[in-house]
Amino acid sequence: MNAARRLLQGHRPGDGPLRVLSASGQLGYGIPEAAFARGMARKPHFIGADMGSIDPGPYYLGSGEMAAPEAMVRRDLTLVLRAALDAGIPLVIGSAGTAGARPQLESVTALLHEIAREQGWSFRLATIASDVPADLVVQARQQGRLAAIGPMPEPSDDDIRACSHIVGQCGTETFARAFETDPDVILAGRACDTAIFAALPELLGYPAGLALHMAKIIECTSLCCRPGGRDAMLAELDLKGFTLESMNPDSHATPASVAAHALYEQADPFLVDEPGGTLYLADARYEALDNHRTRVSGARFEPRAQPTLKIEGARRLGARAVLIAGIADPTLLQVLDSVLEAVTAKVRALVPGDWQPVPHVYGCGAVRPLPAAQRATHEAGLVLEFIAPDALLARTAAAVYKQNLLHHGYPGRVSTAGNLAFPFTPGELDANEAYGFVLYHVMAGAPLTDIFRVEAHAVGGRAAEGN
Amino acid sequence: MTQRDPVRLRELAHIVRSKNAGPTMLTLDVFFNDAAAYERAAGSAALASGAVAALYEVAPGAVQRYLLPQLHAIKFSMPRKLCAGTPGDGDLYGAQQHGPLLEVLL
Repeated sequence: MNAARRLLQGHRPGDGPLRVLSASGQLGYGIPEAAFARGMARKPHFIGADMGSIDPGPYYLGSGEMAAPEAMVRRDLTLVLRAALDAGIPLVIGSAGTAGARPQLESVTALLHEIAREQGWSFRLATIASDVPADLVVQARQQGRLAAIGPMPEPSDDDIRACSHIVGQCGTETFARAFETDPDVILAGRACDTAIFAALPELLGYPAGLALHMAKIIECTSLCCRPGGRDAMLAELDLKGFTLESMNPDSHATPASVAAHALYEQADPFLVDEPGGTLYLADARYEALDNHRTRVSGARFEPRAQPTLKIEGARRLGARAVLIAGIADPTLLQVLDSVLEAVTAKVRALVPGDWQPVPHVYGCGAVRPLPAAQRATHEAGLVLEFIAPDALLARTAAAVYKQNLLHHGYPGRVSTAGNLAFPFTPGELDANEAYGFVLYHVMAGAPLTDIFRVEAHAVGGRAAEGN
Repeated sequence: MTQRDPVRLRELAHIVRSKNAGPTMLTLDVFFNDAAAYERAAGSAALASGAVAALYEVAPGAVQRYLLPQLHAIKFSMPRKLCAGTPGDGDLYGAQQHGPLLEVLL
């Protein structure tokens, strides 16, 4: 028998609270060790760790690369694995390798094998693959079963097929299937952040509303505390509510800080849509147990008739080169928009091909729109990106643009020796591939059990038990 | 009702933050210093959904406003002009879009 079955057979909700330890909101950026060790000393029933998100943008989903540095991913994985295996409790990791696409799930699975080999550990692993075939999405679009979340341009069938990866977010029902294989460790591809922490409590019979609300708060570890942080967070869940406690003694979960967290990265603070239904938080109550812990109750869950599937997809737009320079001439700053237009026209005539310049003028509205009166008059930072089908063309356009902008004559110019201040040479840099989101949609009527493939693996020397 | 001198929002609030809510939406949270500051803000025409839509140059009606009196907080959610990370987007996380709110007169 492995860790999952031991917990599922050994714990009854009436016996006492379920202790859930959230180790990391972003595995791979360095789990603070002291707080994590304090959490383990509290004998949690399982450990959960989120490893990804759509937040870092389309590059990671599109490219299949991990956002976190591999050396830190290895460090954090070793830390949580050692703790879970020593304690004999399940470890649940969601959104493998940032975006949870197949190459990222494979990279993290390979790391788990390597760590097990190095450390001489053996355990049973369940993986959940989250990739959605493009044909299923095209079919859903044609049948009107695809709805954008927020303002997304309507993708064509070709746009969908051009996605290098499309993933679906698996929910608690998929984790439940993975737990049937009796793993010690679950590694999911793209997963709902909440499902990592709510699946086991739901399987044990805790109310789904409480389990999901708890999960929603602790998946960010101590971010819901004052002062906020990245330290491990412990939740103690019972049939009436749950208690939140940061494992950093200086980071306090207060009713206000926890309630405020309901607003975080959430368009509607009272409703949270999950694959299996909606979580209602309007009646949630937050009470201080002392100055360090808060008790939460009152969330309600209403299941929907058919689970929905949230999908994400990104496609390559081209290669990107970036030109970085400063501008400090007051006359040029005033006419910069028209100068950039004129130089773009000049360079178009010189460099044929499908390249696109995208200006970011820091100090003049690069971060948010600025009225003319608030634009920089002393100096501005120029970051021009060039996107082209290949890196050579992007870099060529950037280099030619650089020289033409450097010497462009504009009305009223006094600085005839040059228009740009370069902080380094070369001023133009290769900047990876450019990707864009094509899909951020809800797909109705998706065949969830076909899409989310659960596989059991024996990791390390010992033969896998069970099955 | 007595006439009050207008006060900038930043003087009445201790947290004014912006963040993506998924790559297509932006959300702004304002936590006011106390109940009086919250009441003043919640009752002000300058923080009506339409006024905030105008401030952020999105379609009238595109801004959702949520009042959270227990937290002394007001939240606004609106569509992003560009999906996060699209070339031309200058704020991947949407974390620096709170500026215009700071100067609103209440």
